[in-house]
Amino acid sequence: MTHRIDLLKQINDIFIDVLDNEEIAITESTTADDVEDWDSLSHIQLVVAVEKHFKIRFNSKEIQSWNNVGEMINCILEKGI
Amino acid sequence: MIFKTGEKYNLTFVVSEAVQQSFVQTFGDKNPLHTDEVFARTKGFKGKVMHGNILNGFLSYFIGEGLPVKNVIIHSQEIQFKNPVYVEDELDFTATVSDVFESVKSVEFKFVFTNTALKTVAKGKIQIGLLA
Repeated sequence: MTHRIDLLKQINDIFIDVLDNEEIAITESTTADDVEDWDSLSHIQLVVAVEKHFKIRFNSKEIQSWNNVGEMINCILEKGI
Repeated sequence: MIFKTGEKYNLTFVVSEAVQQSFVQTFGDKNPLHTDEVFARTKGFKGKVMHGNILNGFLSYFIGEGLPVKNVIIHSQEIQFKNPVYVEDELDFTATVSDVFESVKSVEFKFVFTNTALKTVAKGKIQIGLLA
C-alpha cells in the first residue's frame, strides 16, 4: 500500500509539472473530468511524462483501458515498478 | 510506428537576407541588434544577428515537409541558442529520433543547428504527434 501511495505522489508531481498547476491533488479515483486542463493533448504529455519518469512503455490498449488514476497505477505496477 | 530511435534526418538551411526581411515584415521585430549593422558591432557581434526564432521556422519546415509522413502535429519544442547566426550563414540541421511513444503515437527528436565553422548555434528537442 505504501508503494501505491508513493507512486501516486510521483504521478501527482508529474501532473503538477505537465499541467503547470501546483494545486493539483489527484487520488486513485481521479479522472480527466476532475482535473482542469486534462484534455486530449495534455493526456499525451502526461502519458509521455509518466513513461519517461518510470522508464516504462505502455501500449495503446493499456492506456485506453484506464478509467481513473488508480488503473494507471495498476498498469505501472504490472510493469514491475 | 514508422520512426525508430536513433534515426537521423539532415537538412541544410540558409538564413538569407530575404528570409530575414520576410521575418521582420511579418512579425515587426526591428530591434537594432537584428537590423542595424553598426549597432550590432558595437555590442560585440560581427554583424547583424539573425533572429533566433527564424530557426523555429526551419524547425516547422522540418516537421511539416522533411519527414516521410505528413500526418504530423507539433506538441512541444524547446530550443537553446548557443551562438549568433549572421546573414547568409549556411546551417547544417540534424535531427535524431530520441524517443518513441507508441502508446500515444508521439515521437521526440533532438536537433542541432551547426554553422560552417562547425559551431553549434542552436539545439533542442521537439515532440510531435502522429495524427490518425
